[in-house]
Amino acid sequence: MDAWLILLQPKIIALRHRLRQPARGSFLKPLILACLAVSFWAFTFWAFQRVLLYFRGVELFGDLLAAKLMGMILLTFFSILLFSNIISSLSTFFLAEDLTLFLSRPVSLDRVYYARLAETMTHSSWMVLLFGLPVFLAYGWVYQASCNYYLVFACALIPFLIIPAALGALFSMILVNIFPARRTKDILFLLSIFFAVSLYFLLRFLQPERLVNPDSFAGLVEYLSALSAPSSAFLPSFWISEAMLPYYQDHQAPSGFFLGLIWSTAGAMVVFGNWVFRTLYFAGWTKSQEARRARLTQSPLIDGLLRLLTRPLNVRARALVVKDFKSFFRDTTQWSQLILLSALVVVYLYNFRVLPLDKSPMPTFFLQNLLSFLNMALAGFVLSAVSGRFVFPAVSLEGLSFWIIRSSPVSLRSFLWSKFWTSLIPLIILGEVLIILSNTFLKVTPFMMVLSSATLFFMTFGIVGLGVGMGALYPRFKVENASQIASGFGGAFYMILSMTFIGAVVTLEAWPVYTLFMAELHHRTLSLWEWAGIFLSFSGVAILNALAVVLPMRLGLKNISEMDF
Amino acid sequence: MNKKFGNFHAVRDLTLRVFPGEVFGFLGPNGAGKTTTIRIMVGLMKPTSGRVLLSGKDIAQQPVEAKSILGYISDRPYLYEKLTGQEFLEFVADLHSLDSGEGRRKRVTELLEFFDLQSWSKELVESYSHGMRQRLIIAAAILHRPQILVVDEPMVGLDPKGARLVKRLFFELARAGVAIFMSTHNLEIAEEMCHRIGIINEGQLIALGTMQELREKAQSADDRLEPLFLKLTGEAGIREFMQGFRF
Repeated sequence: MDAWLILLQPKIIALRHRLRQPARGSFLKPLILACLAVSFWAFTFWAFQRVLLYFRGVELFGDLLAAKLMGMILLTFFSILLFSNIISSLSTFFLAEDLTLFLSRPVSLDRVYYARLAETMTHSSWMVLLFGLPVFLAYGWVYQASCNYYLVFACALIPFLIIPAALGALFSMILVNIFPARRTKDILFLLSIFFAVSLYFLLRFLQPERLVNPDSFAGLVEYLSALSAPSSAFLPSFWISEAMLPYYQDHQAPSGFFLGLIWSTAGAMVVFGNWVFRTLYFAGWTKSQEARRARLTQSPLIDGLLRLLTRPLNVRARALVVKDFKSFFRDTTQWSQLILLSALVVVYLYNFRVLPLDKSPMPTFFLQNLLSFLNMALAGFVLSAVSGRFVFPAVSLEGLSFWIIRSSPVSLRSFLWSKFWTSLIPLIILGEVLIILSNTFLKVTPFMMVLSSATLFFMTFGIVGLGVGMGALYPRFKVENASQIASGFGGAFYMILSMTFIGAVVTLEAWPVYTLFMAELHHRTLSLWEWAGIFLSFSGVAILNALAVVLPMRLGLKNISEMDF
Repeated sequence: MNKKFGNFHAVRDLTLRVFPGEVFGFLGPNGAGKTTTIRIMVGLMKPTSGRVLLSGKDIAQQPVEAKSILGYISDRPYLYEKLTGQEFLEFVADLHSLDSGEGRRKRVTELLEFFDLQSWSKELVESYSHGMRQRLIIAAAILHRPQILVVDEPMVGLDPKGARLVKRLFFELARAGVAIFMSTHNLEIAEEMCHRIGIINEGQLIALGTMQELREKAQSADDRLEPLFLKLTGEAGIREFMQGFRF
């Protein structure tokens, strides 16, 4: 067996063991994951075949639109793959624990490069591939493509995955050599900003919304040229798009040329990457072993501020809060998530600001308040996503250092509730900013403003309770970073329960809000039965919120109390 | 006390008592049940049956009270990587509700100096070597002046200077009345430091007593602990095995 394949053996064997010995206990976990994956696949396939069928029905432009959409999807995939490969290669090439083992053995650097490249590519690509496949299958299905379409797709896909992997590894090698000391994680932070900004520009430049609205173009010629304009003839996404085009549409394009182009580029990138690797790797790896200092969070000003903010807490709770705060802000992977979160919030609010309410056939007053009601659920979902990323992993992030808490005179109840309160306050602030600003943009009635702010305020308790409680119920102390915690079974289960909880709260409030709203609109008084119904509905909401806090927190506490550590 | 993992009996009918001012050595081969016993003693695991009393306080029933008089030195150097050494000690002081006055600050500084960590006190723990982490863990364990010190492999990662420092520290603590329960593989250290020794094998306590009592039990005239230990744990055949093994 070739040496670089031997280097991959531990990963392959570990995967085989995982597949052979699924998680102990019930079939619930694989079943839920399989259901989620199949539902997602089915939904994506259905949605795309609907869109493509619609496009096929559009005379003149239909096929052009479908081809343009394919180009956009491939360009998006290429960007995601490139970014994901940079992040992965930082881990696989520089931070992985097993590197010490390989680099101290008589293994040539070439072999290490090929093995790590293959690992990086697999890590980064499988998810994109899995979620992208139904899209390409939908194209084949709608256009009734021959098996050549699938063959060309499979043939072009491999180099399409290799190119961003080789580029990502190359980029991370250069970065690690430029940045001093153990700054590799800081680089992740910079990359996240870079990625967010790039994605924004990409979307803005593509302007997908204009393509379905030919009126926004000055003339037919301009519209057609916008449709047929390539994203960039130098990008692999364009080559794969052009290579596949003749096999699902009646279109003449030099498919072989593009296939050759993409394969030769992939080969060249791997060879060039290997050359750079041999030159730069060892120096970069040595640099990545050095330590970094905490500057900002050691300043007396920050310490004073923290002391002031935590004054109402008892000394043990304060210690936990300060420790969590410092650990959070010194972990650059967390900052990058915060930056992305801020981008998400800005986009969220921007969408409300630019909503063309006046163009809707419905009365603006009605639509504003309807949207405001739905906005409660949307804001809840945003909070739930944020909580999935920051609150659910809170217990697991104690990691293998949890022995310090377990062997100290702090009750696990206090520990868990300190996690609850420290998560709750920032999330309430975020939720209220979201709901109040978006409602202001919508110009809703004071009643809707008060109702949605109050609902979201109490709903945040449930979302956080579920997050902390389920994080303690499904802790993963041995993972290396927070994103792995959130993406596990417990994280997925939390997201489902959290979404269900938000859906249930909004459903319970729908009827009373509608009744109150219509009564106000028509200036009529409510009957006793209606008041009783409203009271019952809001009581249901209160009970649901209380249950969402108490039940998971209790179960989580029981679990970590009984857990052998 | 008993501890079972499924069908595997990790600790079987263990009964032990350690007295104030005593250094108790807990020895045994790999996988004998030493770390499991210690993890139960400090509240990281629950026993299947039985109980652990620390100065009369049940670790399972009164965990906060029991842990407030306990210091634990783990063999695994996992710490909060994103705190500095000084911040970590301040954090532990808060967990033990130590007054945040001048006395506490002085205590933290003294310990950092004693363990030769002063110049590293503002650095993140993630940059510490294994030995430095171990010294920080020991400093944190004695920060609140515990009555009981439970130690799992105290010398792991320590250089000769650090090891000597720790030995001296343990003597002084024992002299001050602290009960020290220490698990170790290093038989010379056990011989040199421990007043009494317990030997555990396959989860069972097979010998308990002073060096003299162990010698009598093993019917050995040898002064050293190593031959006694090998004889008691049934590993005396190792010499013959090594002779027959070709490297």
